[in-house]
Amino acid sequence: MKAVFISYNQALTDRVRFLFDQLRITGYTQFPLTYGQGTNGGEPRLGTHAWPEMNSSILTIVEDEMVPVILKYIEKLDNVNKENGIRAFTWNIEQMY
Amino acid sequence: MSIFESAVEKPISTLMIFLAVVVIGVFSYLKLPVDQYPKMDPPYITVMTTYPGANATDIEQNITKHLENQLNSVDDLKEMTSTSYDNLSVITLEFEWGINLDNASNDVRDAVDKTMRYLPDNIDRPTIMRMSTSMMPILVYAVTAEQSFGGLYKILDDKVVMQLNRVDGVASATVAGLPERVVYIDLDPNKLDAYGLSIESISGKILAENMDVSAGSVKVGIDEYSLRVEGEFDESEQIKEISLALAGGKTVKIKDIANVRDTLRDITLEQKVQRGKGGILLVTKQSDANAVAVATEAKEMIANAQKDLPTDIKFTVINDSSDFIVKAIRNLESTLAYALLSVVIVVFVFLGRWRSTFIIAMTIPISLIVAFIYLLVVDGSLNTITLMSLSIAIGMVVDDAIVVLENITKHVERGSRPKEAAKYGTNEVWTSVIVTTLVTIAVFFPLTLIPGIMGIFFKPLGWIICISVSTSTLTAISFTPMLCSKFLKNRNAAEEEKDGKFSFFAWSNRTFDKLDAWYERVIRWVLVRKKATIAAMTLIFGASLILLKFMSTEFFPQNDMNTFNVYAKMQQGQRVEITREIALKVDSMIRDIVPELKILTVSYGSEETASFASMMNTTGNNVFNMRGRLVDAKDRDRSVFKVADSVRKLLKTIPEILEYTVSTGSGGATGNSVDVEIIGHNFQTTTNFALDVARELKKVEGAEDILISRGDDKAELQIYLDSEKLARHGLTTSGVGSALRNKIYGARQSKFKEEGEEYDIIVRLEEQFRSTVTDVENFIITDAYGQDVRAKELGEIREGFTPPSIERKSKQRYLKVSITPDADHKLGDIADEAKAVLAKMQLPDGVTTYVGGTYEDQQDSFKALALLMALALLLVYIVMAAEFESFLSPFIIMLAIPFAFTGVVLALLLTNSALSVVAALGAVMLIGIVTKNGIVLIDYINLMRERGYELTEAIALSCRSRLRPVLMTSFTTMLGMLPMAIDHSEGAETWRPMGISVIGGMVFSTIITMIIVPATYAATNKSGNRKKNVEEKKSYKFMGDFDPERDLPACKQINK
Repeated sequence: MKAVFISYNQALTDRVRFLFDQLRITGYTQFPLTYGQGTNGGEPRLGTHAWPEMNSSILTIVEDEMVPVILKYIEKLDNVNKENGIRAFTWNIEQMY
Repeated sequence: MSIFESAVEKPISTLMIFLAVVVIGVFSYLKLPVDQYPKMDPPYITVMTTYPGANATDIEQNITKHLENQLNSVDDLKEMTSTSYDNLSVITLEFEWGINLDNASNDVRDAVDKTMRYLPDNIDRPTIMRMSTSMMPILVYAVTAEQSFGGLYKILDDKVVMQLNRVDGVASATVAGLPERVVYIDLDPNKLDAYGLSIESISGKILAENMDVSAGSVKVGIDEYSLRVEGEFDESEQIKEISLALAGGKTVKIKDIANVRDTLRDITLEQKVQRGKGGILLVTKQSDANAVAVATEAKEMIANAQKDLPTDIKFTVINDSSDFIVKAIRNLESTLAYALLSVVIVVFVFLGRWRSTFIIAMTIPISLIVAFIYLLVVDGSLNTITLMSLSIAIGMVVDDAIVVLENITKHVERGSRPKEAAKYGTNEVWTSVIVTTLVTIAVFFPLTLIPGIMGIFFKPLGWIICISVSTSTLTAISFTPMLCSKFLKNRNAAEEEKDGKFSFFAWSNRTFDKLDAWYERVIRWVLVRKKATIAAMTLIFGASLILLKFMSTEFFPQNDMNTFNVYAKMQQGQRVEITREIALKVDSMIRDIVPELKILTVSYGSEETASFASMMNTTGNNVFNMRGRLVDAKDRDRSVFKVADSVRKLLKTIPEILEYTVSTGSGGATGNSVDVEIIGHNFQTTTNFALDVARELKKVEGAEDILISRGDDKAELQIYLDSEKLARHGLTTSGVGSALRNKIYGARQSKFKEEGEEYDIIVRLEEQFRSTVTDVENFIITDAYGQDVRAKELGEIREGFTPPSIERKSKQRYLKVSITPDADHKLGDIADEAKAVLAKMQLPDGVTTYVGGTYEDQQDSFKALALLMALALLLVYIVMAAEFESFLSPFIIMLAIPFAFTGVVLALLLTNSALSVVAALGAVMLIGIVTKNGIVLIDYINLMRERGYELTEAIALSCRSRLRPVLMTSFTTMLGMLPMAIDHSEGAETWRPMGISVIGGMVFSTIITMIIVPATYAATNKSGNRKKNVEEKKSYKFMGDFDPERDLPACKQINK
């Protein structure tokens, strides 16, 4: 099992939900509003006067085989418009209840 | 922190806040005055102008017309009517209800000022009077006496009237129908002639003698005395001893030429109380005083005064409006209590737990008590309207609390701690609770905007319901969660078990489970046949529209006030003795046919001087009036209306009686008559046409008390003086007139004083010398040269008729034929019949007709209600469309409304009630009440659909799960109204139609809603969501190459 953490401009919320629907991912935890900034040029999303935009983040734990599929379509989504910005990170799950 | 979190976290503060509200509310309740209706100023202003010596036509042309022209431009004027009598013009201006009458009075005064220059010179300024309800007596007593009858007037005046006038809020206390003391000096014209005296000289002499004159002061040594000439009579005997100077230095005493009587006034208006001698004591209140408070104090005063009165003087209440008010209010209070009880029982039956029931029941007093605070703030009173509003509100204020409690209970049953459950449970439902309240307010708020007399009645209703329902919502999201967090208990399975199968909770739960399951089966059956169902329902509604034809209409249901008044008119010019004979005959006949009678008073004849009593009744020598009081409504089977019908039937059989009315109740806020107005300039044509109309209307079944407003021509003796002859004698018309007046009416220059009271001294001819036409002709008048001439030498006496008084409306001459429906007929039907009668008749040239009266008010009110209904429907749609974010859903929900009206029609027809304004208002209220059911249902179906349930499944499951809340809110509303619908005590008649229409509408629409709403939802919502998914897929191109079968790993493939 792997954890996939996706962070994206909240403007992409509907598309991410659609992506999860299509990939039949049922389990997830969403943080509707998150602050953040990319390392490589991603502009800050701080909900301040200067940087009014906000991010959303979603964490899902999936079977190992699912990871490549998810990453593939996340990349496609990012390519639609780079300015929005969406990133996914994965790591191993050690144990679960 | 949100309101419900704070409430749960700080239970003591919450409790204290609500306790404070309750304390202020109870305080307000105790301070509120009790009255029958909300305070209302009748919007009438009367302009009265006197112009002595002019007959009705002159008055109309020279005064009324000019005034009308100017007054017509006054702002907010609704209608102007006028009556021109001999010597007097009365113009009544009716304004819109609720306008500022002070401003209106000023406008009227300005208009009158402008008219002054068109009016005849030397005319008195017109008097501007404001009408007021306080002119109606609040207490009417019959006072009877045997031995003390002679002194009754004086005794009452001294011991009772004086004291009553001191009571706070009493405007006047009047004794009517009792003779007053007076000193008569009846002269013999022959003796006057012989001694060369005249009435004028004797009257002048008495005035000159009956006087104290102060003559300055006299200084005597060191003292100073004031000098007075004492002449005032100490006793009436002194008058007899007055010496009159004759020509030639001789004297004669008054007793030698006149008969001096210190006695009671010869009355022509006689009053019989229970066939015995007696009078009437009337008490009126000041317009801003409270009727009940004033009446209570006045009654106490009379009871106290009675101790000092001779024992044979007895007081019997003929009419006590405060008694009716108090009884009506007590009845409403018990209606309120029953409503509360039935609502609590419904809640207990549905919830099955006393703790939950207690929590819900707590919201009722809090929500209602706030209404009392509102009433105190706006200077209102506890009246039938406000109490009834509370009783309507009872069923509605529990709804919000039920929703909140149900959700909290769900969490508790899942094992949450009550405190958490209270917070999160409330959080989940509080918005929908507020929305349902908004729907209710959307219906009731427009009520506060109604103009006119209906507004006076329905404004408090609108405000009270809006306030109570808003408070109940506030309570439901603060106080209720707080109580839940303290009172609800976690129950584990073991405890449930211990309760056993036979606990009430277990039993009710099992029963309702069965009901739920049955309903689900019904819905599934219906969903298969949705088109047939919808068609069947439409048919039912169509059928009810046909039933509408059989519906009669009326304005306000009439109150049974225990009293009836009879007015009967006989042949013009009939002697009062004959009238008396017939009146007493009718009196005993009424006693025979009306065993419910408690007291009956009769008066007949006309009063010499215009008095208060004669203002309220038409009097005349050929007229008798009766006032009957029945035993209380609960002690008799027949209503006062049925009694009135039987009295009418009796009067019809007496040939001498030409015209009669039997009116029931005393001065209620609304009348009950259809007026056929006949407008036309020519007296003869209009009068004849009115007689024809009246004759035709008499044939109409159920039309009673047919009365023509234009009086018969009055018979009188007219003296036409010859100006030539007058001039020869140096006389004037006014001189001759006053000489004749002194002979017959009497010279009343001086007053006899005793113990601070003044009595008239009347000098006139003895009756035997002034009772034939020949006597009048032979009256001796002294001319300017001191010579005597006979009246007949100055002109001629003719028997003639004076023209009737002239009534005008909107500057045109008119008269009206008024009709009152009997007990078995309704106002609307009679109006229709009257219209049919008029349509058949040939209208004379220059005559137009119009059907008005209470019927007109009724039509206006129905129009206002129709507008109100449209407004309510629109507002409800707006609120719901916003809530559901849909144009369609509100329509589905509002499908229940037509069926509510079907229910109203059915219920009214079954109970044989007419569609009155009150019943129609009930129908308007239903808009808000019945849509609530639909909202609960649609809201849940939408929710289930969003959760992904398939359409039929979603509908069936939602219906099953929402059945209980829907039934519960419906039952609380219905049972809250039930006491109102079945009450038969004092004052209940007014509101019964509302109870009936709301219950009928509720029952019918609830049943129908539960079937037609799911069916229509299914029929209109087939493909909504599937379509949406396809469109979404098209718009998101980044996944265009995705194929689940190919791209997803095995673990995500759906097994086929």
